[in-house]
Amino acid sequence: MEVEEGVQIDDKAKRMRDMLSSFYSSDPSSNASSLQNYTSSSSRFATLDTINTTSFDANMYMNLLVQKSNLENLLQKHVEMAAEIKNLDTDLQMLVYENYNKFISATDTIKRMKNNIVGMEANMEQLLEKIMSVQSKSDGVNTSLFEKREHIEKLHRTRNLLRKVQFIYDLPTRLENCIKSEAYADAIKFYTGAMPIFKAYGESSFQDCKRASEEAVAVIIKKLQGKVFSDSESIQARAEAVMLLKQLDFPVINLKVKLFEKLDQFLVNLDLESVELTNASVDDNELPKGGTVLDSASSAAHEASIREFVEAVRAYRVIFLDSEQQLLKLAQDFVTKHFEATRQQIKKQFRSVELLAILRVIWSDVLLISEVLPEADLPDYALQAARIVVKDYIDSTFKHLLLDISDALTKAQVRQKEGVEGEYSLQVALEASRKAVIQGSMDVLLNFRQLLDENSDLLLKLRDSIIDWVQEGFQNFFRTLDDHFLLLSGKSNSASQNLNIPEGISVLTGLVLVLAQLSLFIEQSAIPRITEEIASSFSGGGTRGYEYGPAFVPAEICRTFRSAGEKFLDLYIKMRTQKISVVLRKRFTAPNWVKHKEPREVHMFVDLLLRELEAIGTEVKQILPQGLHHKHRRTESNGSTTSSRSNPLRDDRISRSNTQKARSQLLETHLAKLFKQKMEIFTKVEHTQGSVLTTIVKLSLKNLQEFVRLQTFNRSGFQQIQLDIQFLKTTLKEIAEDEAAVDFLLDEVIVATAERCLDPIPLEPPILDKLVQAKLAKNSEQISVS
Amino acid sequence: MQGGSTGVGYGLKYQARCISDVKADTDHTSFLTGTLSLKEENEVHLIRLSSGGTELICEGLFSHPNEIWDLASCPFDQRIFSTVFSSGESYGAAIWQIPELYGQLNSPQLERIASLDAHSSKIKCVLWWPTGRHDKLVSIDEQNLFLWSIDTSKKTAQVQSQQSAGMLHYLSGGAWDAHDVNAVALTCESSVQLWDLRTMKTTNSIQHAHVRNVDYDTKKKYMLVTAEDESGIHIWDLRKPKFPVSELPGHSHWTWTVKCNPEYEGLILSAGTDSAVNLWLVPPTSDDSALDSLVESPTRRVEPLLHSYTDYEDSVYDLAWSSREPWIFASLSYDGRVVVESIKPHLPKK
Repeated sequence: MEVEEGVQIDDKAKRMRDMLSSFYSSDPSSNASSLQNYTSSSSRFATLDTINTTSFDANMYMNLLVQKSNLENLLQKHVEMAAEIKNLDTDLQMLVYENYNKFISATDTIKRMKNNIVGMEANMEQLLEKIMSVQSKSDGVNTSLFEKREHIEKLHRTRNLLRKVQFIYDLPTRLENCIKSEAYADAIKFYTGAMPIFKAYGESSFQDCKRASEEAVAVIIKKLQGKVFSDSESIQARAEAVMLLKQLDFPVINLKVKLFEKLDQFLVNLDLESVELTNASVDDNELPKGGTVLDSASSAAHEASIREFVEAVRAYRVIFLDSEQQLLKLAQDFVTKHFEATRQQIKKQFRSVELLAILRVIWSDVLLISEVLPEADLPDYALQAARIVVKDYIDSTFKHLLLDISDALTKAQVRQKEGVEGEYSLQVALEASRKAVIQGSMDVLLNFRQLLDENSDLLLKLRDSIIDWVQEGFQNFFRTLDDHFLLLSGKSNSASQNLNIPEGISVLTGLVLVLAQLSLFIEQSAIPRITEEIASSFSGGGTRGYEYGPAFVPAEICRTFRSAGEKFLDLYIKMRTQKISVVLRKRFTAPNWVKHKEPREVHMFVDLLLRELEAIGTEVKQILPQGLHHKHRRTESNGSTTSSRSNPLRDDRISRSNTQKARSQLLETHLAKLFKQKMEIFTKVEHTQGSVLTTIVKLSLKNLQEFVRLQTFNRSGFQQIQLDIQFLKTTLKEIAEDEAAVDFLLDEVIVATAERCLDPIPLEPPILDKLVQAKLAKNSEQISVS
Repeated sequence: MQGGSTGVGYGLKYQARCISDVKADTDHTSFLTGTLSLKEENEVHLIRLSSGGTELICEGLFSHPNEIWDLASCPFDQRIFSTVFSSGESYGAAIWQIPELYGQLNSPQLERIASLDAHSSKIKCVLWWPTGRHDKLVSIDEQNLFLWSIDTSKKTAQVQSQQSAGMLHYLSGGAWDAHDVNAVALTCESSVQLWDLRTMKTTNSIQHAHVRNVDYDTKKKYMLVTAEDESGIHIWDLRKPKFPVSELPGHSHWTWTVKCNPEYEGLILSAGTDSAVNLWLVPPTSDDSALDSLVESPTRRVEPLLHSYTDYEDSVYDLAWSSREPWIFASLSYDGRVVVESIKPHLPKK
């Protein structure tokens, strides 16, 4: 029931609302059509709610009500409806009443308005009249006062003008006063104030005045300029002066340029000074005592001037605000010039102490300047430049070292050429070049050490790079040294590229020998020492990528020089043998051996041969070590036993009667060869006197054998050879070490000659002896004479 | 160095200096060699490698009137060869033919086709054009170069032209370019002279002293190999005769002869008076970079020596590659020993 009641209350409110809306609504049809749908669709399920719609069907409603409700409900509904109807009636009545009331009050208001408007027009007319009279009166006053006011105004203007004229007439004196009291600022204020007048009337009325004041201003300008340029004035004052000048339309740019030029000039002076400084320090080398004092004095002077420069730059910067670019350039120029000068210095040979001194000076300069010009990034710039300079320095040092060494060597060559062998022996050359290598390298290392020991910022930053450069430098140095050696020895294949050595100068054998020994020395002692030195003070580095490995590879260099040493020794032997070979070739190709005359004495080619060997001996003895086991050899070597076995056989054979057949001779030779071991003639050469000399003797004898084999001899030719060889047998023993091999080879020559002889009948031993003795006697006689 | 007797040996009775490949014999690998004996009767041996390659068989033995200083087999007729000989003061050169029925005869005589008897000084060598049939022959004595026109069927030899190399140049030998029928290289005391046979004039020369032997590269045109007494082996490009293209160390004593392999490029055989035969491989270099690479990396080069045969008792004066089996060569040492070796184990792997 309560629910029912709630529904009823809702219904009531709804109805009221609907009634009002239908009253005010302008378009009931739209509402109706939507409701039409609703009713038609819901006619079957019509509810009691349809009472509030426009499509309300009273009959249907009644039926529905009757059908759905019981009696009690109907009764109740009835009561409700009656009450509702009553309520609605009262509402309606109230609305009608209110509307009526409003109509009445509106009519009243309209009536009152009509009454008030009457009389308004007359008032307005009155007002107009009064305003007109006020206007005419004020016009009268105005006209009566006009003349006087005009006059007053004129008078006032004249007074102002007079005051100005007065001011302008006074201007020169005033300016002068200002100049006297140095109140330039005031003076310029006055002058600029007077400027427009001067501009307008300067040509006519105030000519004198203008001239006088212009003169005064000129004085002022001069004074100001002087102030700007004078270093004694405070920066502030100078800046002010520049400002004032600017106000005077004075071409400040010129001033700026001038001042800048002055700075530039300053720098040039400075540079000269620095050059002088380095020159002084170079000179100091010669007078090491007074050096340091002088050095410090000049460096102090230098520092002072740099400070001065820095001050000037600072002032300049303050004075001309927009001048940074110029100054930056100036500063960089300064650094560049400095390093340029240094590089010039490097071209001459100088030590790292001096480089350090210069670098130190530059660095301190740079630091000072960078205080004033932090934008210039001078330290970085200087670092770059220093990097280049130091690298240059290292490179040039190595170059100088190379030159030194080659000088030491070529000096030997030249002297040798002049024939002063006795005085300037190979020994000296070798010693000199050895010293050049080891001392030079040590000096170089010491120099570089000094670079590393220096604590200056600049070098600390470069430290790693320096280590790398030094290592690389040594590696390259030795490589070029090797090339250079090759060049000197004339062995270089690309002879077209060697411009250093004039063509046609045959390379001297002594030099090659020196090179051989020098290479050996480098391999055995120089490299280990340098390696040690580098390891102790140049380890680290590593700006070079690891994949490249360390820059300095001593093993590789050792290998290079070991092979170079062997190569040069071989070359020496080759060259010497070639010389002998020429002698032998002449000996064997010139005469007709088939028509040879009977031998009278030992042929002179033996002398030539011995002389060559002697020359080699003197060269070799100067440089090469003696070799330890050279006495042993003769008893120990297997060759000696075979030779002792084969010797009697051969002698025997040769002294046999001439009926012996060559055929059996050959057989015998073969047999002899079968029974003895193969003679090792071509053994490895060692860096000893004996080894080299023996090798050359052996090679020469082998040459002799080969030359013999190409000829055909008659009996006398054979005997001549026999005699020569016999003589050599006694003399070579004193020269060569490996007696067995030499004997063997000498025998081989005789055998070869016998084989190539049409009628191999040897000389009788007594005759042979006699001739050999005669020759020996003659030789000793010659020696005693000379 | 390595030794080891891997080769097949054959002994001559006397000392000998020259051996030649019988190029025209396409069925067998055979060599001709002649002895050098002053007093005995000299012999020419025709030797043949057995089919298994294990034995050297004497196919023919012919007596030769004088000691033989040079011997060359005719490249287009296996029965013809030339010799240079001397006895004491006399000298001569001749072309011989091996008699056809020598198998049946007891002491077959060589048939002398022609004598090259226009020489007035000591004859050094006779050259055949190595590449094929050619009716010309070159002979060299100490001062002159002769060009012969020969006809083997008519058995005649006539001097076609002759030119003196000058009194001061002692000619010592030469080689005929396999690529150019008109180019001959002559060795003399101070240089190698390159001659054009049409004009009989020197076209160019390599100033290099003491060249003992010279050989044209058969595979590569313009390449010349020289052997010197002291300074080893040099390889030259004839278009750039100023500097050698490449250099080999040679032998521990004189390098007597060099021979380029007819088939494998860059293979060079050399023999020397240090009783050794060396087999070299010159890495092929392109023409342009040849010089550069040499300058740039002398250390980085590979070891060019492939093998050294040292099993000889005396100096080795002559070598011959077999043109039929180019991996086989014969060497002859002064004691008259022929050794045939195969280089197969040393050939670079391909």
